[in-house]
Amino acid sequence: MTTVQTNASHEVTAIDTAARWPLLLLIHASIKWLVLSGVLALIGSIQLVQPVFLSTCAIFAHGRIVAMQESIFIYGWAANAGLALALWILGRLGGSPLRAMNWVVVGTLAWNVALVLGLIGIATGDATSIAFLQLPRYVQLLMVVAYGAIAVPGVLAWAGRRTEGTFAAQWYAVAALFLFPWLFSAAQLMLLWSPVRGTLQAVAGGWFSQGIWTLWLAPLALAPAYYIVPKVTGRALPSYEFAPHSFWCLLVVGGFTGGRHLVGGPVPAWIASLAIVSCVLLLFHYFVVFMNLRGGLGRGSTASRLVAVGLLAYVLGGLVDAITAFRGVAAITQFTFVEVAQQQLALYAGFTLILLGAIYFAVPRLLGRGWFSANLVIGHAAIAFTGVALLVVSLLGAGWVQGHDLLDAKISFADIAIHTRPWLLAATAAQGILLLGNLLLLVNFLETACAGCCASATPTENPFREPSTMEATAS
Amino acid sequence: MKNGPLFFFGLFVALTLSWAGTVLLSNHQLGALTPFYDENESASFPLRQPGVAARGQLVYADLGCASCHTQQVRRPDFGSDLARGWGERQSVARDYIFQARVQLGTSRVGPDLTNLGARKPAYDAEDLMKFLYTGMIPGTKVVTHPPCTYLFDERAIVGETSKLALNLTGGFTPAAGCQIVPTEGAQSLVAFLLSLNNTYDYPESRPMPVEKAKPEAAKK
Repeated sequence: MTTVQTNASHEVTAIDTAARWPLLLLIHASIKWLVLSGVLALIGSIQLVQPVFLSTCAIFAHGRIVAMQESIFIYGWAANAGLALALWILGRLGGSPLRAMNWVVVGTLAWNVALVLGLIGIATGDATSIAFLQLPRYVQLLMVVAYGAIAVPGVLAWAGRRTEGTFAAQWYAVAALFLFPWLFSAAQLMLLWSPVRGTLQAVAGGWFSQGIWTLWLAPLALAPAYYIVPKVTGRALPSYEFAPHSFWCLLVVGGFTGGRHLVGGPVPAWIASLAIVSCVLLLFHYFVVFMNLRGGLGRGSTASRLVAVGLLAYVLGGLVDAITAFRGVAAITQFTFVEVAQQQLALYAGFTLILLGAIYFAVPRLLGRGWFSANLVIGHAAIAFTGVALLVVSLLGAGWVQGHDLLDAKISFADIAIHTRPWLLAATAAQGILLLGNLLLLVNFLETACAGCCASATPTENPFREPSTMEATAS
Repeated sequence: MKNGPLFFFGLFVALTLSWAGTVLLSNHQLGALTPFYDENESASFPLRQPGVAARGQLVYADLGCASCHTQQVRRPDFGSDLARGWGERQSVARDYIFQARVQLGTSRVGPDLTNLGARKPAYDAEDLMKFLYTGMIPGTKVVTHPPCTYLFDERAIVGETSKLALNLTGGFTPAAGCQIVPTEGAQSLVAFLLSLNNTYDYPESRPMPVEKAKPEAAKK
């Protein structure tokens, strides 16, 4: 992975201009969903400390808020942003402009319309109550088709690549493109159209929700990470020869972590044991990712710093996942906020920060102009770091208190609520902070895109800029 | 990775392996689980859900109750599930075979509901309705549950008061001439919650960890 481009004229190429507006459409949708998901997360968090909050309206029932927030985060923010970056990377590493970009536009519109319809469905009473698969089944078919349409240029770029070798960023991007439709449609069949029997639903649901993380979201985050880090450091990745092993480890072993949350439950014990072993084996993957991308830590622009912190959180998330999978630890942490903290560590601190960094990296190159305001970028990064740290720590604290209280049968749930309250208030504050940061991103993005929109009508005299001016550097 | 088709095949195998290894294998083990026929009682267990309870389970799913409540009693060596009186035995796969959408849950912000219909002292429908409306456990003054007032209608009393109307006191007393009546959703939800009663002891629900129990008993 030594495709370091030092020449500024290579920074914005025909590959980027061809993909400009379709990919910006995806990124635009993703940022708006991220903000909306933040609003719902804030409401849900307030409801945990103040049960009366907005509770008289059925749309704001806590369970529905959680279901909507989760769906928006995964299918709104993560899918749109992840796909945009995966396509961009496949185009750039494939060496030729992306083809069939009309499919992306149509697919993006269809995907987001389906998501809106699904959210209306949840709000009016059609939620499925299956983790990560909350959207009602009538929109899911449309989503599979729309996903296929968005993925077309990526597959074409992969199949028609001009380079001799392939890069880790490409493997992860292609894996994410292919694996999601299979996983998603298999889960729909097993859980919604022709449900399996009894607790098998929990097993299939666990396989799906862990698969969404290990087979789709993690590759979607690693693709930009493996692309950006060597570009920023300007060096070949250390221990790169282990990257293929780490890749296959994630895909093969990751799928087996499905029984992760069924420890002690009404399913055969081997399912949980298999998941625990897999969680530990997966540490190999996390370790190699850390070894490969450790060069990205502590240098470079704000964008690369976001990616670096995200990667650190990604690795930590894997570590916490493995530790809390063990039966001895799970006896305390299962069903508590520790699990929420682990999820936030992986999904927010890991996935989201990497993708935010990648967006800050990619948008200037797509548009051929820098961000509207460098200060907003720096501000967002600072806010995001603070918010994420506060969120994870406060949820861990709440979970630890809750876990120990749950073990003592004499402590009532009302008392547990009182004991966890300070921690949950901190988590609520963290959600507010994160929302504020994402609003900054939205403003900055809209301003940048509008400026790019107006400028592109008249040819700019110098569309190529030094890479350093592309990013808002804080160092 | 240079070989495109082989790479594609690898991706497919990776997904299929994990699917076969977790879902297919457990389906092989549990998919054909039948009700247990007890000759002494001349009945088979678990009992089928009444229709109204099956409808209530849909309300449970739609409101996302599973985001705070579990429906599983874990094994005796796990947590305080048994000590809290959530059940007298661990939940087993057979308990769930008649449920259309099993919601084991992943969070215990609120208590487990597996055996809500078998609690001692027993809840009756009236208690649960009031609890859902006010969000306060009967006899306490603290709101611990989001009040689900949308599950109830406030209606003018025409003629007699409805048989279903809630007998509310304190700050919740409806205005004069009005009554608070549970909707059909509330009635099915409560019927579902009260139908949760897995007390029958199956052969497989009794395997106490013998080797483990002995040293503990010796300590005591």
